Amino acid sequence: MIPLVGQLLQQDSELGMIIQTIFSLAFIVYIFYAQRIQTLQMLRQVEITLRKVKSIRDEGRETAIKTINDLGKPGKDISAEVDRFMDHFVISPIDMDPAGVVGKLKQILDTREDVWEYEVKNVAPNASENERNNIENLLEASMALNIYYKVVRHYYLLGKKTMNIYVIMQIHMVLPLLMMEIEAYASALQAFQEGMPVGDSVGAIVAGKLMHGYPNKEVAKETVAAEVPFEGRTLIVLKARGPGGSVGEPGEAIKNILDKKKGKVKIIITVDAAGKLEGEAVGSVAEGVGAAIGGPGVDKYQMEETAKKYNVPLHAVAIKEGIEHVVSPLVDPLFDGVDKAVEAVKRTVLNYTQEGDTVLVAGIGNTVGVAQ
Amino acid sequence: MGESAGDRGAQMTSMNQSWIGLVAILIVGVLALISLYMGFQNYGTDNQDIAYMYMLIGAAGFAAIGYMFFRTKAVTAQQKTDVTKVSVVTTLECPKCNLKRVRDFQRGDYVFKDDEPCTRCDGKMMITRIAQKKEEAGKKKPSEL
Repeated sequence: MIPLVGQLLQQDSELGMIIQTIFSLAFIVYIFYAQRIQTLQMLRQVEITLRKVKSIRDEGRETAIKTINDLGKPGKDISAEVDRFMDHFVISPIDMDPAGVVGKLKQILDTREDVWEYEVKNVAPNASENERNNIENLLEASMALNIYYKVVRHYYLLGKKTMNIYVIMQIHMVLPLLMMEIEAYASALQAFQEGMPVGDSVGAIVAGKLMHGYPNKEVAKETVAAEVPFEGRTLIVLKARGPGGSVGEPGEAIKNILDKKKGKVKIIITVDAAGKLEGEAVGSVAEGVGAAIGGPGVDKYQMEETAKKYNVPLHAVAIKEGIEHVVSPLVDPLFDGVDKAVEAVKRTVLNYTQEGDTVLVAGIGNTVGVAQ
Repeated sequence: MGESAGDRGAQMTSMNQSWIGLVAILIVGVLALISLYMGFQNYGTDNQDIAYMYMLIGAAGFAAIGYMFFRTKAVTAQQKTDVTKVSVVTTLECPKCNLKRVRDFQRGDYVFKDDEPCTRCDGKMMITRIAQKKEEAGKKKPSEL
């Protein structure tokens, strides 16, 4: 063995000549085919990821079918309905003339909500309302996984067809970020299947902690509010109606409450989960101003319009979490963040209002696994 | 719940497969090198045919290694289960005597649910927390930067 290794270093030996020939050949091949080799390597990595995404997508579909069968007892094969549902789409309104576009978007989203409610009721006739809401969320997660799979597959096949490095690069560069989002949706399957609170539920839990034990009533679709006395003030605390998975209509609720109170509300405080930057602690709480709410923007628009109409300041409390936490079962630091956010809300109320004032506190987010 | 024996088995199988692949590449590489060496040794002698055969085998070996780097494996039944489930626990607290109890999550549990009678007093225990088990939730050390 040792003489053999020694031979490698001798240029005039046969083995040395072989090694040199191989390296020379490899070098020549690399000069002419470097980009093609890189393209093939990237395609291979995309293909491996695509197989993984497909497996997660299939798992999502199977979980949805199993849950619908378990909870809804449809008494028939619902696979075809679920498959049809997973391709459901929403077309955004035209925004070339932006005036009134939010109203159009709201109308489209309301229609989507009605269609989903009808379809879920159709496939799961024996499920309770809470269970139907959870099935809706579960189908939404499965649908998102299906879209991710189809987009990655599209770029993979397009890249394979054209063998163009720039086409393949587009998907290859964003693969790590896409996988983070896909894995987040994958963990949502368990949460929505079982009805567990998720990272997005922190706003609803804050509201629940403030209003628990007080009578509540519906103030907008799937949204409830309760009047809570606090240090001589009246807090009107609202959240989506739980424990089924729903985000309610907080924009509409705030509008209804302020209209009813004729604007006699001192401040509005919104509490929501917020995306953290790398390095920030999970469950850390930040305070600011504005409407803390995500989504397509309809509720945010309504909140801002109502606040402007009655000249009510908007305060916000954000609980920081990573993308991997948003729809996966809650982690303890987020629950600790909820307690900090409750304190932040109370501090804001004490700092910016007087005794006798009315304050509106809105816990924003999905209320799956959280009652009131 | 949590990482089942099946999941661990699947991971072990996948790790074994990658090791087997690497060892196979190494063996093919060594054999191809030896073959080329034999070919060059026989080249220029009376055994010209044998030399060509060895060189052909050697070249084919290296071509096979190149192909093995670019091929993709089909997802096997074991590799299919990528969606891992986490262990979730429910914390119950008695509002009267503050007794705390932690148990595994059950379908139907939700935060603020009056769940079961308190074992210490006559109160009802309420679910106050539903969260992932601590050891699964945060294994990473926070950055000091």
